[in-house]
Amino acid sequence: MANDWLQLFPEKVRALLKRLPLPLLGLVEEIRIREGRPLEINYSGKYHFLSGNGTLTQHPGEAYKPDRDESHRLLDLISNHSLYTMEEELRKGFITIPGGHRIGLAGRTVLSAGGVEHLRDITGFNVRIAREVPGVADGVLPYLLDKGRQRIMHTLILSPPQHGKTTLLRDLARQISAGGHSQREGFRQGMKVGIVDERSEIAGSRRGIPAFDVGPRTDILDGCPKAEGMMMMIRSLSPDVLIADEIGRMEDADAVTEALHAGISVVASAHGKEVAELVSRPGLGSLLEHKLFERYVILHRSEAGLSFRILDSQRRGLLLAPPGERLGGGGHA
Amino acid sequence: MLKLLGAVLVILAGTLAGFQLARQYADRPRNIRGLIAALQRLETEIMYSYTPLPEALRRIGQQSREPLKGFFVTVAEEMSTPHDRSAEEAFRLAMDAHWRVTAMKAAEKEILRQLSCTLGTSDRSNQSNHIALALQQLKQEETVAREDQGKYEKMSKSLGLLLGALIVILIF
Repeated sequence: MANDWLQLFPEKVRALLKRLPLPLLGLVEEIRIREGRPLEINYSGKYHFLSGNGTLTQHPGEAYKPDRDESHRLLDLISNHSLYTMEEELRKGFITIPGGHRIGLAGRTVLSAGGVEHLRDITGFNVRIAREVPGVADGVLPYLLDKGRQRIMHTLILSPPQHGKTTLLRDLARQISAGGHSQREGFRQGMKVGIVDERSEIAGSRRGIPAFDVGPRTDILDGCPKAEGMMMMIRSLSPDVLIADEIGRMEDADAVTEALHAGISVVASAHGKEVAELVSRPGLGSLLEHKLFERYVILHRSEAGLSFRILDSQRRGLLLAPPGERLGGGGHA
Repeated sequence: MLKLLGAVLVILAGTLAGFQLARQYADRPRNIRGLIAALQRLETEIMYSYTPLPEALRRIGQQSREPLKGFFVTVAEEMSTPHDRSAEEAFRLAMDAHWRVTAMKAAEKEILRQLSCTLGTSDRSNQSNHIALALQQLKQEETVAREDQGKYEKMSKSLGLLLGALIVILIF
């Protein structure tokens, strides 16, 4: 399972990556391949180029440049030699492969009736390595528990991209679903968790089976549009807690409202740095206005590690973790 | 006595060679027909089931009869882990290994090679077009192969026998 994503690259790139020291390989977050341009590797929030002899450099000129054959080969490998099975993915611009890793694609778009129908001449790949970090939610979960009523509070997780929202959601799902025992609050029963996994990122499902541990009482609607998926969940799967990644559109907000009124706890994430800046967004603004969320978790990742702040529904701070307090995050597996 | 036995053997050999040749003529249209059926199934797998190529080819192989069965299963294996070869490469390797045991000729091989270059590299409608083109070409080859069968199958059988007889007469 560890570093299984290496199999995905064409031989030459794979050989270069394998020359990296193993601990570093475990930290890699993104590998960016652009045809005819330097091979880029990102980890711990910094970028590097990979040179032809397998060393890291900051100079684009020294870097290894994948050629046309290699980008074709990469596309062939990630599509399992069958690009025609990826029509929907090509329309959306990314492919999720077994293991939950996500590959963003860049190329020339083909339009049809004003909308993007297809991507062709794909020459840019951003491979985001997904990692399971069990325990990353340990610090957050106690603040989300409503002990009196044995439920999870409606929570919105905020952070810019690449700061670990999905990893946190995944671990929250696992812990909420499994229940647990801690000295502070005693025994906590597991709850029914429903994940609407539009981009197959939270659970990394393959043929409906999650690649990550998301808990024993968790149902996943894989690849389902969030708004529709949340409604389906509410109607048919009766979850106690509904988890969705990156909400933001009007329909999402409506579905969240629906869930809240149905008595289902919602744990969702959104792009953003501060609660205040969400107010102006069309979908999320109305949710904030009605103070529907009881907890806001704001993630921030620096070189020192992952830190978080937790606010209540009035946006008062409950916890100000000192920057640098590690959550076990920061991508170390 | 020994001479007579030799003569019988020569005639027998000639006859068998003739039958072998006749079978080639009879098998070729049958093999092409099998290939056409296999490609039609492949098109269905691509258009309606969105089956990835390695799996689709494996299924088709299992449904086909030898020698196509071995051919498609090899292609599927070459495309799966750990080899993970491209369709073009996998077809080339499988053709090198299996083409000799089929009765098919260079024309069919070329059609399949051209198809393998585009298999899996585009969207469904494009795939369908390429397969349709290959099918059309294969059908033409099938017609030619059937004509050849009609013309040469019986002839090569009698020719084998007659050739054996000729050799016997010449030797005596």
